[in-house]
Amino acid sequence: MDIVLQVEGLKKSYGTLEALKGIDFQVHQGEIFALIGPNGAGKTTTLRIVSTLLTPSGGKVTFLGHDLKKHPEKFREQISYLPEEAGAYRNLKGTKYLRFMANFYANTAGETEEFLKRAAGIADLGNRLDEKVGTYSKGMVRKLLLARALMTRPAMAILDEPTSGLDVINSLEVREIIKKFAREGISVLLSSHNMLEIEFLSDRVALIDKGVILDFGTSRELKEKYQAANLEVVFRSALR
Amino acid sequence: MKKFTNLLSKEIRELITLQLVISLLFTLVLFYFMGALAKSEMKKAAAVQKISVFDLDQSEISKGLLASLKMTNFQVDAIKEQDKEAAVQTAGKGDTNLLLVIPKGFGESVAKFEPEEIETYTFLRSFSLGSIRKSEILKAIITATNNYLSNDFLKKKVPDVNPENIKNPIKSKDFVIVKGRMAEGSAAAISGFVYGQSIFVPIILMMIIIYSSQMVISAIAMEKQNKTLETLLTVPINRTTIVTTKMVAAGLVGLISAAIYMFGFKSYMGGFMSNVRTTSDITKVIQKLGLALNTNGYIVLGISLFFAILCALAMATILGVLAEDFRSAQALIMPIIFLVLIPYFLSFFSDIKTLSTPVKILVWAIPFSHPFLATQNILLGDYSAVLYGILYMALLFLILVVAAARIFSTDRVLTMKLRWGKKKIVL
Repeated sequence: MDIVLQVEGLKKSYGTLEALKGIDFQVHQGEIFALIGPNGAGKTTTLRIVSTLLTPSGGKVTFLGHDLKKHPEKFREQISYLPEEAGAYRNLKGTKYLRFMANFYANTAGETEEFLKRAAGIADLGNRLDEKVGTYSKGMVRKLLLARALMTRPAMAILDEPTSGLDVINSLEVREIIKKFAREGISVLLSSHNMLEIEFLSDRVALIDKGVILDFGTSRELKEKYQAANLEVVFRSALR
Repeated sequence: MKKFTNLLSKEIRELITLQLVISLLFTLVLFYFMGALAKSEMKKAAAVQKISVFDLDQSEISKGLLASLKMTNFQVDAIKEQDKEAAVQTAGKGDTNLLLVIPKGFGESVAKFEPEEIETYTFLRSFSLGSIRKSEILKAIITATNNYLSNDFLKKKVPDVNPENIKNPIKSKDFVIVKGRMAEGSAAAISGFVYGQSIFVPIILMMIIIYSSQMVISAIAMEKQNKTLETLLTVPINRTTIVTTKMVAAGLVGLISAAIYMFGFKSYMGGFMSNVRTTSDITKVIQKLGLALNTNGYIVLGISLFFAILCALAMATILGVLAEDFRSAQALIMPIIFLVLIPYFLSFFSDIKTLSTPVKILVWAIPFSHPFLATQNILLGDYSAVLYGILYMALLFLILVVAAARIFSTDRVLTMKLRWGKKKIVL
């Protein structure tokens, strides 16, 4: 499989605090790559750097051959980022919000309509899409945002806690949607606290703690290596 | 361009909220209502006024005084009572607000140059401008009557000489020179007229700057509070475009808001000014002195105002980044308000040219000082001062926009916060 994202020796410091101490990983085309780790491990910082929100203090990030520092705009054209605590414009209707976002990526009016049609299918909010976002529940907003992230069929979707705030049924639906898009060739870089979710979704997993990747592999490889029944035990063993 | 208009229309939609529309409409209605009220009060004050008169003298002189009252738009209502106390009570019960008591022997005393005091009573039934004006008119009438009586006496004693020449042996003729042009007129009257004509400029500017700056700061703060900024920063659009659209949208909405506010303010002020007639004499003097704004003057003033607004918007963009949420954004407008208020009050109460050099430099360093001073400088023909001000504001605006765009292009847009508790900027 082709490498879509290459991260080499990535470092990030906030003043004296070293959030990332030189991490390396790759994401292949159509692969779901997950970062798991405790709070403050550096997961969100990594996702924010790859999505061009933060500038790295050191190391190199390459996406489809483009260097992050030199061409962040090339990243933005082909990635889609869903932050953990994202929101949408409360005064806009769901459809207006999706159209507003689609207009940044579409080259023609027809393409915009295509994005909107896809988004409506992903969000599955029915007529509520014609109501203002301010009236939505947290779960509805999350589904709208996921639809926004995937409607353009980006080369890579960067999803921070994609099922955050969703109930069990909606979480299952969202996971299926992510799987479906990955099967169609979209690469996914995600982080989650939910080990079951990671096990179900990801092709490969990186265990990260205190800005360092402790180990990575497929869920099966890691479970075998640490002789663990699930990823939670793997993670605990890796920390030791 | 498509991305710019897409973002701009979203920014405008976000700014024109129902609350904003309601508050603007409320302001407009309130000002209109207050203006209409003031107009009707001023009309009432200028209309025929009722005055109660208790004339105990009934002399030719007292009758002359009452005749002059009738000639100056007063409706004289003679009170017939036994004594002064009863007359005051009767007048107070009626709908009149003024009572004039002419004592017995008034005419005789005046003829002997031993003036008896006449008494005036004003029934203050409210504290409106109309009530105050009525008593002032009455005082003016008494002064005019005094003048009439003394002139009459002097005419009888020295028939060949104008009584005014006896009372005021020294005459003065006032001339005003501006930009080498001379015209006959009072400096105070001309200054007052020019001040009255240009008073709206600083008010308009202050309103636009405060409105627009508040909108930019709030827009950025709301993006942070609603967690939409992170998503917006990852879409394929230049960060400078994001900054620019926020400023353009706030500038447009601020301009519309200020125009609506000023329309309301003008109708409010129109209520007070409705009975003030500008004499054609002063207009002629103003034209002769070249103190009226011509087309070039308006264009230069407009450019000066425009750059001041741009500077305010750029400052607000940087301050907006420091906001954590909508609440903290409200406090961040304060530095801009201070910077507007300093030249605002200085332009009203002092001549900046006469200040000490360090204070002058400080005032000129504030970009908003330049449009406040522009009207005066344009009227006085000092275009170079206005143009230097425009150049300074343009340069400052460029520096501020570059700074704002750089902040938006780096981590600072997400990590820079002003923490009031710790009073430091955390990067």
